[in-house]
Amino acid sequence: MPPSPPVTASLFFTCMADALYPNVAMAAATVLERFGVTVRVPPAQTCCGQPAFNSGHRKEARKMAAGFLRAFDGEGYIVTPSGSCAVMVKEMYPVLFRNEPRMLDLACAVGERVYELSQFLVDVLGVTDPKSAFKGKVTLHDSCHLLRGLGVREQPRTLLRAIPGVELVEMEQSDRCCGFGGVFSVKNPLVSCAMVDKKIERILATGAQYVASGDLGCLMNIGGAVSRSGYPVKPIHLAEILAGPPADGNAP
Amino acid sequence: MIPRCHDFTRNVARALSNRNLQSAISRTTDRFLSHRDAAVRSFPGDFEAAREAASQLKLSVLRDLDVHLSRFIEEAERRGASVHVAHDAAEAREIAVRIAQEEGVKLAVKSKSMATEEIALNEALESAGVEAVETDLGEYIIQLAHEAPSHLIAPAVHKTREEVSQLFVDRLGEPYTEEIPELVAIARRHLRDKFLSAGMGISGANFLVAETGSIAIVSNEANARMVTTLPRVHLAVASIEKVIPKLSDLPAMLRLLTRSATGQPISSYVSVLTGVRRPGDLEGPSKLHILLVDNGRSAILKGKYREILKCLRCGACLNICPVYQTIGGHAYGWVYPGPMGSVLSPLLLGLREASALPDASTLCGACADVCPVKIPLPDLLLELRGDARAQGHRTPGEVAGMKGFAAMMGRAGLLEAFERIAGVVSQLLCKDGKIPWLPFGLSGWTDRRDFPAPAVQPFRKLWKIKRGIAPWNR
Repeated sequence: MPPSPPVTASLFFTCMADALYPNVAMAAATVLERFGVTVRVPPAQTCCGQPAFNSGHRKEARKMAAGFLRAFDGEGYIVTPSGSCAVMVKEMYPVLFRNEPRMLDLACAVGERVYELSQFLVDVLGVTDPKSAFKGKVTLHDSCHLLRGLGVREQPRTLLRAIPGVELVEMEQSDRCCGFGGVFSVKNPLVSCAMVDKKIERILATGAQYVASGDLGCLMNIGGAVSRSGYPVKPIHLAEILAGPPADGNAP
Repeated sequence: MIPRCHDFTRNVARALSNRNLQSAISRTTDRFLSHRDAAVRSFPGDFEAAREAASQLKLSVLRDLDVHLSRFIEEAERRGASVHVAHDAAEAREIAVRIAQEEGVKLAVKSKSMATEEIALNEALESAGVEAVETDLGEYIIQLAHEAPSHLIAPAVHKTREEVSQLFVDRLGEPYTEEIPELVAIARRHLRDKFLSAGMGISGANFLVAETGSIAIVSNEANARMVTTLPRVHLAVASIEKVIPKLSDLPAMLRLLTRSATGQPISSYVSVLTGVRRPGDLEGPSKLHILLVDNGRSAILKGKYREILKCLRCGACLNICPVYQTIGGHAYGWVYPGPMGSVLSPLLLGLREASALPDASTLCGACADVCPVKIPLPDLLLELRGDARAQGHRTPGEVAGMKGFAAMMGRAGLLEAFERIAGVVSQLLCKDGKIPWLPFGLSGWTDRRDFPAPAVQPFRKLWKIKRGIAPWNR
């Protein structure tokens, strides 16, 4: 039930969803609006700086982080369909700005407002029924950052189980990294591919039609291997399941 | 051991072409992990609180390391030990070789020690004419194979039973058998002579107890016990951060160490060795040398990587690491593999040698979750990546690429323009909405994976079209 007074949330749609999977960001907005949230889309946002930070390019990361903080300065919740990007802002910005007290304060203030989508729906809005019309056998890949960075494990499962058409089947070691790791998958493609192969093996063993996750990075990685090898499973973002069946355009 | 960290990519390719290695490693590490999980569940008391306490204890030791070391040296010498301090690996080798020569040792039996691997002691002893035989079964196997350990506690984890069987045929002239008890019996038979004729025993140390000058060693094969009590001379080699203040601190550390390593509440053997053989003692060495190895640790202690020195060498971070499970320990190119090694090796060897190691992690964080002393391994890896860039250990292409990326992301308008261009250009590379081949440094991504084509209409544009431009979006 929508809490009162009405909630406003800024959508942190992530550069990845923007450029590659706009439907995922749209789905996130749709779900939020379904629960009475007024969705704002700060237009100045670009990338949170995670790729630069994770590969050690701190100067460049600080530049992007500063841009993010400007774009989201203000009040109210910030919601994102990405565990990874949420962790970047909440946990890594303070590291990035540890020697700049003013920026550090701003980073902490903005970071406190950031929520991953399923976390926001369950923990803040108290959603127990996502009112989605999705049908299919779904297995959930726990993205590392969502799980270990934000401690979000049950929220996506709670939501998925509440959808009448969804049959949630757990895979072995759903919390084992898929091998994406951002720059890792570029710098160590051989290892990354060997890791995603193992992940796909466990996904296929469930017989699920869909593998869902709260992070587009994982889905791009798994999806890239699935697409190349033609495995019978479809990667899908949690937001798309929550919003209902995907309409058109890019699927991970 | 000569570092080969700079060859990381080649090491990985070699490891991935060895299917035996991958299945052998996943099998063993998965077993260790499930035992660990069970041991954590049945832990008497609050496991998290025990981790926190151990972490705090190690931190407090590191804060006053010199005080604890002085105490250790004083107490050990009071009980008849000779304590030596080596500032680097070369000095450590010199001291160890000199001891062997002064004691007239021709044969030394060893029990597994990462510190002796770090200072390349076996090679040094060999060139000085001293035979050094590893007596830990796994370590014995890899010594026969002329390899280095690939795991902190399971040095031969990368070998299948069949490979070991064949090795015993080739090197020991024994008949082929895949029965593990028979393999153990063969090794035992060959090692027995060595134990009885060795002039010196060389061990590592899991802990150095400052209060009593004792060395604590955990093992499951009793070989450590033989090594440290049978020969006339005992040389214990340990890095300086292994010290703990009191004997009463030991149980708390041991119960975390063995549970994290193999899932055992306690290892089969725990030796607490104090001083030399006294009149009336039935066993024990008449000479005890303790070699404390610094080798760069004093410098680490002063900086932002201090917490890596809390490491107990339990191997839990290796076992859980999906990268380690895939490539094994040798790929890391030096003594210390996995997440802890990816932090420690660059610190001990320098980023010039080992800048690839901090990148050999997806930062999934599983290692930090299992570390019994709560070392923030992903954070340390991230710091090292930052240092690698700052010290110039990044390819010009990567630096230029990242600068370009940051510039493009500097302004939404610029990004939007780029997205428009990318949408058009990608149509050329595109096949059914997928990009099967990426250029430049990105081609590895698409060797076995497709990349998604950029959206024709990025979200920011889609939003404007579908939802209109609200006042707050201007």
